Amino acid sequence: MIEKIRKNFLDLVIITAAFFAVLPVFGLNRTTDFIIFCIFVLGFNLLYGYMGRLSFGHMLYLGVGAYTVTLFAEHVSKNPFLAIIASICAGALIGVIIGPIIVRTTGACFALINLAFNQVGYFLALVALSRWTGGEDGMSAYFTKLGLFDFGKKPVIFGFCLFSLLLTYLILKKLISSPYGILIKSIKENEIRVKFLGYNTFKYKWVTFIISTTISAFAGALSILNYGYVTPSFIDPSRAVEVIFATLIGGAGSLYGALIGGVAYMAISNYLASYISRWEMFLGFAMLIIVFRFRKGIWGYIKDKFTRQAEGIVR
Amino acid sequence: MLNTIAYGLTIGGILYIISIGLSLTFGTMRIVNFAHGLIYTIGAYLLITTLPIFRENFIIGALFTVLAVIPISYVIERFVIRKLYGVSIDYAIIATYAVVLIGVDLIKWIWGASPIPLSDPIGIDVTIFSVTLPMYRLIIIMLSIAIFIALTIFFKKTMVGKIVVAALEDKDAVRGLGINVDKYFAYVFIIGSCLAALGGVLYAPITSVHPYMGMMVLLISFAVVLVGGLGNLKGTFVSAFVLGLVMAITGRFWGPAAETMVFIVMGIILIFKPIEV
Repeated sequence: MIEKIRKNFLDLVIITAAFFAVLPVFGLNRTTDFIIFCIFVLGFNLLYGYMGRLSFGHMLYLGVGAYTVTLFAEHVSKNPFLAIIASICAGALIGVIIGPIIVRTTGACFALINLAFNQVGYFLALVALSRWTGGEDGMSAYFTKLGLFDFGKKPVIFGFCLFSLLLTYLILKKLISSPYGILIKSIKENEIRVKFLGYNTFKYKWVTFIISTTISAFAGALSILNYGYVTPSFIDPSRAVEVIFATLIGGAGSLYGALIGGVAYMAISNYLASYISRWEMFLGFAMLIIVFRFRKGIWGYIKDKFTRQAEGIVR
Repeated sequence: MLNTIAYGLTIGGILYIISIGLSLTFGTMRIVNFAHGLIYTIGAYLLITTLPIFRENFIIGALFTVLAVIPISYVIERFVIRKLYGVSIDYAIIATYAVVLIGVDLIKWIWGASPIPLSDPIGIDVTIFSVTLPMYRLIIIMLSIAIFIALTIFFKKTMVGKIVVAALEDKDAVRGLGINVDKYFAYVFIIGSCLAALGGVLYAPITSVHPYMGMMVLLISFAVVLVGGLGNLKGTFVSAFVLGLVMAITGRFWGPAAETMVFIVMGIILIFKPIEV
């Protein structure tokens, strides 16, 4: 038990230290951005990396969180914590509502139905509900100061986001090492066999989907806290590829992989664009190379290397 | 209202021409081919580039475009699609999407990112049952029906077509007969890509040509394929025209909702008829 707590604690320290280490390189604003994106990648990775369901419309769930937190601050209460809780609930709610339709499908249909829902959501935010969402111009969000938590100050946001990331990490780690986590990994490998064992896979898939949408909505809420402004680009389906690429580059199906992928993707997209004007092409070639050569991503590569070394020592 | 229906049939015809290739690759190879939308975009751009060379002769330009797409689609098939057989379907989606990223960036490099308008190549209106229609649209509808008939004959009467239909049913059994299935899949892929380019050529004069034009059309074609049934040739034909009409009728009442309505219809149909891939 103590061993376990110590190991979790070590993980948290490593993550915190890593983000503080990159802080001088990228600056406070960008690092906060990276952390929020990492939370989003963690949410996506639960669905894709662990359960093997590729969603091509995960921006919808980020966007739901982003719009909910803004609208809540505008119409109900300017308390940032209440707004975040509202957006988490909204993320869970959308998972509950559209989950039963989505999780029945697999493979390509799963990806495309997500994309279709995302398209509908984008249309709602951009055109149909533009009276409330501000359409293409978007709208700004203001939050009141609550004692220590003044979200106008960047270091406070940084600290809060880092805390959120650690919390998400811990929850996911707990989930994944539980019997539930093993079951969703088995669904990825062979769903029919899991059904033969007598489990109702539909229920497990639905719950996983809801957790994933909730975490994504949470990331969306945090990014509004950081930017103070929501635009339809938060729900734009054409940006869905970002999170997929980040998951792949880091290594799908591991928490550290998701974190490394999130940071690596953000670094690439932030800095590469200013050095290479054809960076979309670069991204395309990088994706092809990953799919054909490095399916396990950076973290998988590192892990393979270390385990091989360790085996060598044993021999 | 009749005008709207005629417009819907035009869109349906183009959608059918584009989605038939998608349906075939989906049905035979179990690969979701995002690069299909790229071929469509390339078709439209090639038409724009070659029109001045052929002295604005639309038919020769269209023919040239459809033939010029063959080597491009062969390269995509040979170096990306063929390596994805039997691999998890997620990797196929990601790899073909990567091809789209590369291709769109190349298009932006060569032709620039700004939209290019193109005028109706025929420019004559005809009046049928007191409805005035551009001749061009009528030709599109007739052409799509002609392609449907030609493909039906192709799959019923020719050897290649029969092999492909058999492979749609059971790939391993066909392979067990000593037939090199992959070779025929490559033919199907190239035929589908040519039709996608033709769709781009036909659609270019109706909308403006820009690098991202393929994405939306691709999504709608996916909806057509899913509603019609994977690899179901007749179903694709019917669902293309139905969804074309849905788009036109929605667009008449509320313009921006036209494309979204297609996805709503798709979602409703998938609730009642889930597809296992």
